[in-house]
Amino acid sequence: MKAQRAASLHGLMLPAVIFVVLMVIFPFGYAFWLSLQDYRIGQAVKFIGIGNYTALIQDEQFWNGIKLTFILYITALILQLILGVGLGMLLHRVQLMRGLVRTVMVSPFMLPPVVIGMMSIVILDPGMGVANYLLKAANLPTSLFLASTDYVIYTVVLIDTWQWTPFVALIVLGGLQSLPTKIYEAAAIDGATGWREFIYITLPLLGPTILTAAVLRSVDLLRFFDVIYITTQGGPGYASSTLNIYAYRKAFEFTDIGYAAALMITLSTIVFGVVLVFSQFRKKVTW
Amino acid sequence: MKTLMRYLMSLQVIVLCIVLFAPIAWMILASFKNRTEITKYPPELFFTPTLENYQHLFTRTDFLENTLNSFYVAGGSTVLGLLLALPAAYAISWHRMTWPATLTLFARMAPGTLFLLPWFIMFSNVGLSGTHAALIITHAVITLPIALWTMLPHFDGLPRELTESAQIDGCSSLKILTLIALPIVMPGLIVAIILSFIFSWNYFLFALALSGISSKTAIVASFNFIGEGVTNWGALMAAATVIALPPIILTFLIQRKLVAGLSFGAVKG
Repeated sequence: MKAQRAASLHGLMLPAVIFVVLMVIFPFGYAFWLSLQDYRIGQAVKFIGIGNYTALIQDEQFWNGIKLTFILYITALILQLILGVGLGMLLHRVQLMRGLVRTVMVSPFMLPPVVIGMMSIVILDPGMGVANYLLKAANLPTSLFLASTDYVIYTVVLIDTWQWTPFVALIVLGGLQSLPTKIYEAAAIDGATGWREFIYITLPLLGPTILTAAVLRSVDLLRFFDVIYITTQGGPGYASSTLNIYAYRKAFEFTDIGYAAALMITLSTIVFGVVLVFSQFRKKVTW
Repeated sequence: MKTLMRYLMSLQVIVLCIVLFAPIAWMILASFKNRTEITKYPPELFFTPTLENYQHLFTRTDFLENTLNSFYVAGGSTVLGLLLALPAAYAISWHRMTWPATLTLFARMAPGTLFLLPWFIMFSNVGLSGTHAALIITHAVITLPIALWTMLPHFDGLPRELTESAQIDGCSSLKILTLIALPIVMPGLIVAIILSFIFSWNYFLFALALSGISSKTAIVASFNFIGEGVTNWGALMAAATVIALPPIILTFLIQRKLVAGLSFGAVKG
């Protein structure tokens, strides 16, 4: 009877497992197999082993993609974590209109990326956009934003930081609300206040929470696609072609399937690698 | 001094809210501006509102059909995701197994572009490319992990005696799940449904590469408006406002549970 029930419970798992194997695991293997082929639309497919990967190393745009991916990842992650912790602590202390503030906070990251992109195009337009108008009115230098080869990637950082810092802040707020208040009482008796309290007590206790936010943001930032593609399609030129965008362009603009697959496998490896590093780190900061 | 600090902090919160909400408000305002007002320089905050952008959007373009497509795809993939995730979450929770749940995290971590090429070839082979079905199946790759991880803690909280006694009465596992467990975990189920719908509705990449003319979603149609000529900003902002509405309304219903729902996997794993 017990065994029978266990079997029928395993049966309940089966559809989901089959679906994931068919739609996720198999395609992953298939993509890897594609990455070992010379596969271009309109040409005979040829097995070339690691040929695509050795070609990557000599591809200037691949290194450009790596550089842009990490500029975007590191600057946005640091900005969002610092601002997110700050805002989380602020929200923890201020009781003002909690419900309304929460609604405003969740709006940016629940909007479709295409809406964020369309909004950015209109607001950040170099000629007619309201952003440059405000900068000019405040006597600050204007910017080409998304149309600038030098600043387009930082503009993307800015947009993503606007969108996702509230998410980090809300995670931090949740972490703060679950901290034991006794520790703070004890710390107050020992005379720890202000910055010392923050550095020696709050920050270490928040470690796991901040790490959770960091992992979630890392995965999304490393494979960031939608807002970049919507606003610039990787341009001007290749100035915002991160690894993911470059892979997509290779596949769908240049129909170099094998090479694009090699790019995507490389990017996946980077994402899994970073998550692995974080999960090792996590064991150290958990209390 | 203390009250001054309090005022300063409240002021910071107000500034924060303005920074976060101003671009959204600007988008909504712009959608009600006419052709000359929208490109006016300097931009104006006060103007006579018009519905001409929305009229243009729904009468001169296929946007209505695109929006319906979005509803089919988001609705379909939410149902498919739940049908797969609910029994799995129930069984995983009962057995305290983690590997099947971890398996779905793979989909959460891998870049979406990775799947496009294999899917493209797979769907062509079975004659599904460009159909609603293809989009529903691919979007279920997003909704399944969301539904699964949202439901897990709720099933974990079920008293085991409840299902054990039903089992002695001869109920099948599927019956226990639908008749006994589901009504109890209803609050979690609602969050799972709403989150699945929003994320499927918002998702861009799969529909960009895999939708056909008849299955094009509102998200992809809006993206095409950008390419077709950025000049009609009014229609662009009207389209953005329309597709922003469902997630905003749905989010409003579950705000408190939202962040926990979105950090799935990371909190447990």
